[in-house]
Amino acid sequence: MTIRHHPSDETLAAYAAGTLDLGRRVVVASHLERCAACRRFVRGAEQVGGVMLEDLSPAPMSEHALARTLARIDREHSRQPAKPVANEPGLPACLKPYEMGRWRWVGPGVEMRPILLPESGNVRVFLLKAGPGTRLPQHTHEGSELTSILVGSFHHEGGDFFAGDFEEADGDVEHRPIVGTDMACICLVALEGQLKLSGFIGALLNPFVRL
Amino acid sequence: MSALRLASPTARNFRTLAPSLRPARARLTDAAMDGKPLATLDYSQMIVAVARQRDRAAFGALFDHFAPRIKAYLLRAGADEGLADELAQEALLAVWRKAETFDAARATAATWIFTIARNLRTDRFRKEWRDVPVGDDLPDAIDEAAAPDESLSEAERGERVRHALRQLPPEQIKVIELSFFEDQPHAEIAQTLGIPLGTVKSRIRIAMAKLRDLVGDLS
Ligand SMILES: [Zn+2]
Repeated sequence: MTIRHHPSDETLAAYAAGTLDLGRRVVVASHLERCAACRRFVRGAEQVGGVMLEDLSPAPMSEHALARTLARIDREHSRQPAKPVANEPGLPACLKPYEMGRWRWVGPGVEMRPILLPESGNVRVFLLKAGPGTRLPQHTHEGSELTSILVGSFHHEGGDFFAGDFEEADGDVEHRPIVGTDMACICLVALEGQLKLSGFIGALLNPFVRL
Repeated sequence: MSALRLASPTARNFRTLAPSLRPARARLTDAAMDGKPLATLDYSQMIVAVARQRDRAAFGALFDHFAPRIKAYLLRAGADEGLADELAQEALLAVWRKAETFDAARATAATWIFTIARNLRTDRFRKEWRDVPVGDDLPDAIDEAAAPDESLSEAERGERVRHALRQLPPEQIKVIELSFFEDQPHAEIAQTLGIPLGTVKSRIRIAMAKLRDLVGDLS
C-alpha cells in the first residue's frame, strides 16, 4: 500500500528533536511504524541531533554526580517488568505502554476511546472509530489536529486518506470527512484544545466529545 | 589554493559558525587525519562493554563525556540547573539500563544517546516525571522496525552529517539549532534573532528542505 499523506517535514523534525509533546509524539510514531520514508527522514534528523549534542559545549556536572548514578545502579534490582498491556491486536506498537479508557459512544456510528497518557498537557489522544459510510459531523478545533489512519479510509475536500496516511490540520480547517463504504475506519488522533462541532448534530454531540 | 578555499562558503562559515558548533570542527580535523572518526567508534564500544560486561569504567567514560553535554542540551531546552543535572544523570542511568538495545550498526553512540536525552525532554512535560521510568514508555518499536539497509556505516553517516551541516550558512544552522534545542515558537525565534516572522518561517522551510536533502544524500 502506497502511503500518500505524510506528516510535514517540520512535524517530523520536531519529533526527532524532542520538541513534540507526548500526545503528538505517539500519533506521529504510529505513522512511522508504517512509513519507511518518514522513518528515514527522522533517522537522519536524529543523526543531526546526535552531531549537535556532540558539539554542544559541556555544562559541568555537579560534584559526585557519577558516584550518585553508580550508587543508583547498585540499588537497582532486576529491571521492573513492563506493565501488562491492555492492547488489542492490530493496534500500533506505540500504544502498547499506555492504558486506554473504554470505547464510548459519541454519535451514530461513531465511538472514541481515550489513550491515557501520563501527562499530555492540553493535547488529548484517542482512537476514533466510525462505521462504513459515516459522515462525521463538521468540526473545527482550537489548535492543531494530527490524525493517523490505522484501518479503513475516509475522504473529504482535502483528499482521500487510507490506512497508513497521516493528516495534519490546523484550527482553520473545517472538513467534513466521509468514511469509506467498505469498512469501518479507525484513526489515532492527537487533538490540541477542544474539538468544536458545528451544526445541530454538533450541538448534540459536543458534551460527549469533551473527554 | 588557499585563496580559493577562503572564498568558499565553508571557509566563511568557519569564522561565523555558532559557538557551540566550533569545538567539533577541531575534532573533525583530528578524525580526518586517519580518515576514521575514532572517538565515535570508541563510545560505541563502551556502550557494548556496558551491555555485555556491565563495565563500570566504560560507563564512567560515557558519563564523563555525555552527561555534561546532555545537561547543556537540557539547559538550552529550558530546564534549570538542578533539573538539568538530575535529568542528565537519569539519562545515563537509561544508557546503563538500555545498553543491550544499542546496535552499533544502526546508530552512532551520540545519535543513540541523543534519542535517550530527547525522550527525557519529552518527559519533562510531565508533572511527575520522577515517577516514570525514563524512556521506557516511548516507542522503541520504531527503531526496531527500521531495516539496517544502508551501505554506509553509522559512524560514516555521522561524519557525513557533521560535514554537511558545516556546509550550511550560519543563519540556517542557527534556525536548525533553535528548533532542535530551544523549542521556541516561531515568533520567539524571530525576536531572539531580531528578524521578521516571515523570514523565520522561510528560513525554517529552507532549513527543512536542506535537512531533507541531507537525509536523502545519506540514503
Ligand atoms: Zn510517511
